[in-house]
Amino acid sequence: MIEQRPPANTSTDPVKPSRKGKLMPIRAVPRKTYSSGVIFFLAPAVIVLLAVGIFPLLFAVWNSMHEFILSRARIYAAHGQPFLWFQNYLGLVNDAGFRESLFRTFVFLLINLPIQLVLGLLIALLLHKVGHEWLKNICRVSLVIPLATTLAVVGLMGRLMFNSSFGVVNYAVATVISLFHSIGPLLQGHFQVLHGFWRHVVPSNMIDWLGNPNLAFATVSIMDCWQWTPFCALVLLSSLTLVPPEIEEAAKLETDRWWQVLWRVQLPFMLPGITAILILRTADILKMFDVVYTMTQGGPGNATDLISVYVQRVGFRQVDQGVASAQAIVLLIITIILSRIYIRYFYREI
Amino acid sequence: MRRFFCNFIFLLLSASTQFAGAWSLEEAAKPYSGTEVSMIFLDRPGYNAIIKLLPDFEKRTGIKIKYQIVPYENTREKEELDFSSNGELTVALVDLVWIGEFAEAGWIVPFEEIKKKYPDIIDPNFDINDFIPLILNAFGTWQGKVYGPPFDNYSGLLYYNKDMLKEAGFDKPPETWDELINTYAPKLTKNSKYAFALQSRRGETQSCDSFMRFLWPWGGSLLDAKFHSNLGNPKSQEGLNFRQSLEKYMPPGIVDYDHSDAVNALAQGNVAMITEWSAFYSTLVDPKNSKIVDKLGVAPEPKGPDGRKPALGGFSLAVASQANDKQKAAAWLFIQWATGKEIGKQYVEAGGISGRQSTYKDPALLAKYPFIQPMLDSWQQGVPEYRPRFSEWSKLTDIIAEWGTKMMLNQVSVKQGSDEIGTRTEAVLKDAGYYDGKKPLAQ
Repeated sequence: MIEQRPPANTSTDPVKPSRKGKLMPIRAVPRKTYSSGVIFFLAPAVIVLLAVGIFPLLFAVWNSMHEFILSRARIYAAHGQPFLWFQNYLGLVNDAGFRESLFRTFVFLLINLPIQLVLGLLIALLLHKVGHEWLKNICRVSLVIPLATTLAVVGLMGRLMFNSSFGVVNYAVATVISLFHSIGPLLQGHFQVLHGFWRHVVPSNMIDWLGNPNLAFATVSIMDCWQWTPFCALVLLSSLTLVPPEIEEAAKLETDRWWQVLWRVQLPFMLPGITAILILRTADILKMFDVVYTMTQGGPGNATDLISVYVQRVGFRQVDQGVASAQAIVLLIITIILSRIYIRYFYREI
Repeated sequence: MRRFFCNFIFLLLSASTQFAGAWSLEEAAKPYSGTEVSMIFLDRPGYNAIIKLLPDFEKRTGIKIKYQIVPYENTREKEELDFSSNGELTVALVDLVWIGEFAEAGWIVPFEEIKKKYPDIIDPNFDINDFIPLILNAFGTWQGKVYGPPFDNYSGLLYYNKDMLKEAGFDKPPETWDELINTYAPKLTKNSKYAFALQSRRGETQSCDSFMRFLWPWGGSLLDAKFHSNLGNPKSQEGLNFRQSLEKYMPPGIVDYDHSDAVNALAQGNVAMITEWSAFYSTLVDPKNSKIVDKLGVAPEPKGPDGRKPALGGFSLAVASQANDKQKAAAWLFIQWATGKEIGKQYVEAGGISGRQSTYKDPALLAKYPFIQPMLDSWQQGVPEYRPRFSEWSKLTDIIAEWGTKMMLNQVSVKQGSDEIGTRTEAVLKDAGYYDGKKPLAQ
């Protein structure tokens, strides 16, 4: 039973005389007041947030409703910027390039996010197992390395590794092929099938990773998975530590099926972590620029032309800041909607 | 009285002649000593060359040169943001395809204005007519007005591996594109070695170095006289189809080849010929990067049915309008010195490419740098509007980059790709106001 507190201003409240001699009720719970010191400490953070977060956002909204092409700055200075209402937004509906890039980005998201989640989960479960402590420590540290690598460097590494003439990946492929050849006579039947398959997939023994549209898309995906799977693994590993050991032990006594333990005991504790991964990775992929730009510049054709590369091109190559701002605001809205969906359908607190 | 006047005029004339004869950089720069000039440089040989020579200029003039090195891909956006927000740049580095935009936006000052406003700082020996006419016209001139002299100058050249050609039975490079594809290419493409590499990566590399290269020599062009698409023209189609046919003599994945990849393919002996900018000569003769230092041959680009119209690219330097009066004068003094006759030879020796005819009159210089003569030959026959130089190029280059690579990947046919580029180009130009007379038809 919750005890009902009497209303603050009743006749039962003690009273004290005010300065003017008038009787004022004494509050049962004194109002929380902040000293100027607290405001002083909070102000820098709030000011920085306003300066680097809120103001640019509002400025982008303002830009998105005006014509703002940088090379016309002098004309604007003399005559002002034309106010277009929502014309820049409506223009996006007819912009086939924008629609295609957005669709491609969603395909990228739908392929990569599940892969990263599943691989991250597997790594987290392996690291959660008892034993081999020193090996697990090494793994934990090495998981941080991809995360600590600058995005543009990841792209440049990818460009070198997947280079069709001298990349290390094609070198590995060639080594595997020569291995097949050397052990070929021993594996007569299997070798024929494998070799036939291989020749079908790789006609010239040199895979054209970045020159073939589908493979270029796959290559960018591989680099993204390489960099961000460890992030998923670390978040899920920390979620696994939240599972009370006694519950986990009891569950393991009940069943020897690991997926039952995972599904019924561990997964519910991981849902907040999974939701965080979904939100952060979705936002990251929607604004993924550096890796694609350094690896393929959106090519070949428009095979890897993800939405942020497209927006950057409109904003900084065509210098149409108005349209680019409208595109960026649309992306922000999509990110917010997806985040709300994730929270609604995935987020559970235990 | 008459005698007095005669003497006075004589004195005046002799003083002015003496003054003109005595023009010196040090004297002209005195009022501007201590002024700071800021600009953007690229990480390319021409800029490294001028950086080497800069201390001499600073010592003689007292003008401080502040530069930041920026990748080419970010230069335009950086300059545009700076000029549109009254930033700190006092000299504009103007790529040939930016001149229309910068001039129309009023970001750069015409040479005539500088001459009128600061007559004392103009070197009587500057001689604007000494610059090679094609590159002065293409890099530094917009609608008949000169904005700045050419500074970092390129022409497309044919680089080839002499040994590979010799092994295949050729003692000289192909003179025409037709010869290249029919006679040279089949013999040079074997055992994972290829006859030719054409840098075609999406971006300016695709639009400028790959797509446009196969229009002009065939008599085609991107736009006709009224600025409608000219890609449907049989000559343009012939050139673009030629590019498709040439692809089978190029390494796989050519649509992902950037400049460095094409240069590297030649330098490592994997391809026999490339058409690349003159600036890459220093990379190809550097033993650290190249295996073909003593096998390298340089020639002008091959001729097409319509003659030799090689790729043309380069940068001019112009005074930025946003600079204050003192900075403008100091900026011009720097530009005048950096592109002047006086340092022309030193600039070339340091790795730059001067745009002055007088620099190349020295036979020793031509003998020392074998790429110079083919480059000079190329500059006699190029077209200034090799790429349109109006501000809409920034949109067109993206359209061409996308559909040009799609053509090379056979995702669309040459005809479909040309139609797409044509339709989209015309939509951009219509919006810009070229078809209703709002903008003059200048490229």
